[in-house]
Amino acid sequence: MHDHTTSPIKSKRGSARTMLWLVPALVMFCLSCVEETTPELEEQKFARLYDDNRFNESLTPVDVAQTADGGYLVLARRRLPESHFAGIYLMKVNARGEFMSAQEIDNQFVHPVGDLMAIEGNLYFFCMDELTVQTHIARVSEDLADIAITPLQAGLTYPSAASADGNDIVLLSYDHVEKLSVLSRVSPDGSVITSRGFDIGVGEDVEEPIINHFIGGGKRFPFLAGRIPGGAWFFNGFYNYTFSLVFTDLSQDQPMGVVQGQHDDGGFSAVVPIASTKFAAARFNFGDNFLLPNVLLTPTGITSSVDYPGNTLPELVPNATVRILRTVIDDTQTLVFASETRSKQIALLFYEEATGALLGSHYLGFSNPFEVSAVIETEDEGLLVCGTAYLAGRFPRICLFKLPREELAEKVR
Amino acid sequence: MRVLLLIALMSVSLTTAFSQPGGKRKKNRVSYMTKDRKQREENKFLEKQWWLGLKGGTNLSRAVVTTHFSGVSPTNYPLDQAYKEYEEFKSFGSQVTLEGTFYFRQLSLSLQPTYSRSQFVYTNHYNWRDPENAGHSLELHYRQLQKTEHLVIPILVRYDLTTTRLRPFVQAGAFAALLINASKEVTISGTDYASGGEHEFSGDPIIVGASDLFTPAYYGLMGGAGVHYHQGNIRLSLDISYRYGMTNIVSPAHRYGNDRLAGVGDAMDDMTLDNIVVSLGCVFPLRFLGNAYKAVDNK
Repeated sequence: MHDHTTSPIKSKRGSARTMLWLVPALVMFCLSCVEETTPELEEQKFARLYDDNRFNESLTPVDVAQTADGGYLVLARRRLPESHFAGIYLMKVNARGEFMSAQEIDNQFVHPVGDLMAIEGNLYFFCMDELTVQTHIARVSEDLADIAITPLQAGLTYPSAASADGNDIVLLSYDHVEKLSVLSRVSPDGSVITSRGFDIGVGEDVEEPIINHFIGGGKRFPFLAGRIPGGAWFFNGFYNYTFSLVFTDLSQDQPMGVVQGQHDDGGFSAVVPIASTKFAAARFNFGDNFLLPNVLLTPTGITSSVDYPGNTLPELVPNATVRILRTVIDDTQTLVFASETRSKQIALLFYEEATGALLGSHYLGFSNPFEVSAVIETEDEGLLVCGTAYLAGRFPRICLFKLPREELAEKVR
Repeated sequence: MRVLLLIALMSVSLTTAFSQPGGKRKKNRVSYMTKDRKQREENKFLEKQWWLGLKGGTNLSRAVVTTHFSGVSPTNYPLDQAYKEYEEFKSFGSQVTLEGTFYFRQLSLSLQPTYSRSQFVYTNHYNWRDPENAGHSLELHYRQLQKTEHLVIPILVRYDLTTTRLRPFVQAGAFAALLINASKEVTISGTDYASGGEHEFSGDPIIVGASDLFTPAYYGLMGGAGVHYHQGNIRLSLDISYRYGMTNIVSPAHRYGNDRLAGVGDAMDDMTLDNIVVSLGCVFPLRFLGNAYKAVDNK
């Protein structure tokens, strides 16, 4: 009886000791769960919508570049009520995506054209004079404190696309007098090293879609200019009545090779050269979209874009904007295709560069409509996606999504 | 999880209740005691005791912002206009607590694991205007309701201010809160002045699971006061406590982790969470299992 009555007390004393041990264990567990914000964490991942509370303002990004301080500089178009052309808007954010400053460039200069190119510590892009439509090159310091816009020495008009080629720039422009698509090598100081024009064809009907691209409201074309590494130059633009991918050595008036589109209803929407004949590309054809992560194109022959079937993606909007980025994710050479879906999200599709196999996908944006403008690799091996968010479903504003390396690795595994 | 917890609490409570000397039989035995002996036994009974019981009630929450964050970054108006406005102690939550207390001469040490549901609300307001045309205007309001479920484990020291049948007490201690589940509900409404008149609109709420957005645990201090009422062998209790959160409840690594919320420009602030907790309960003695209040260690 005695034993029976004392044992519960011992048991309760044991419980008390257990409870006392539980206290430090619980404290240690809680301390291990405490999560504090660090600057690194805030830089690795963020999502920002940049709001301007002017009802009639419209801001659509063109391109984005990372600056030396870890921040980002966005080049955008802005609506000018008094002009047919889009104005120029530049925005600087810090490494956490927080707004720092913005510049609305004088309305004399319109139609900003990417890429936003980093050359020798400055950023460059092209634009044109509103009255003369003459091409200008703009040099921008990374903090937006110094912006210089100078006309190109040759009278190039209607800049359409540009990309850096080492310390030079490859520029596609349109000569509305001679009706030529003009591909040029340009120095950052504005001098034109070499230039060739390619006949778009005869007649007002041929020129009309090009002019409509420049003035607001017209169908926008995926003009491109670039160079196969160490090889031929190329442009994606109008040639011989057709929106085509044209290869040239810039020494002859005739192209080396052409991949023809379907008048202005088909052609390439994005092209990135991988090797001499190997490309990552996307094409559109009467509204349909096809992704070609691993395609062999012939820079020296004449083919048609419909000869390259590719992966069809019905989820994308008709004639979707596509951006392609070559990068390394999880130690795998990867192609990131960024585009926009019918549900108005930004779609990221990851393909293995070597095989063209789909590795994974990721979608950005919800509730508001989103469109993609650019995707770049960041210093910390993450991705930055720049696009347009239609706030309240109606106000076009700049948005940035930063994705960390670890999250990307999970997407492609 | 909630059902399991409730069943467990009820089982323990019922077991405890049935383990006590019961009803008429106890009354008959007591009737044979002298008044002095009864008083001594009652004092002994109350001097050192383990108590186990159940209590439940409601709580109100307040989020205390330590660092502001915003998914919307204004470019032509001050950043603080994009900050969230928090409702303080307005949304009711609920909790149920299993209380285990060791009592000795008016002082108690109490462990009170609690299943707690809390809610708090913040709002954002945006407007777009055309200075040249007053009719071109849109107002947009985001109301974000956060619902969290935590297992809160407080350890409290309690002091009974009197030894009367109705005993007021004060208590203080620390707690740890372990996240069980969380969700967010975003309701978007607004007024459109630009589409031909003044039109108020409201959409269906966006409801998302949000466990990733909160830290797995946080801790803090708590204190409060209450009263016990001794009825027979049991104590009825009513207490009110303030839980003062000391660590961040938001996971910085997942602040922008939910694409649905990022799409509407939501990024949770770093914050701590305070609660006002009101509970009503009943506790049972464990230490005296013999007949007629006879202490087992007196035998």
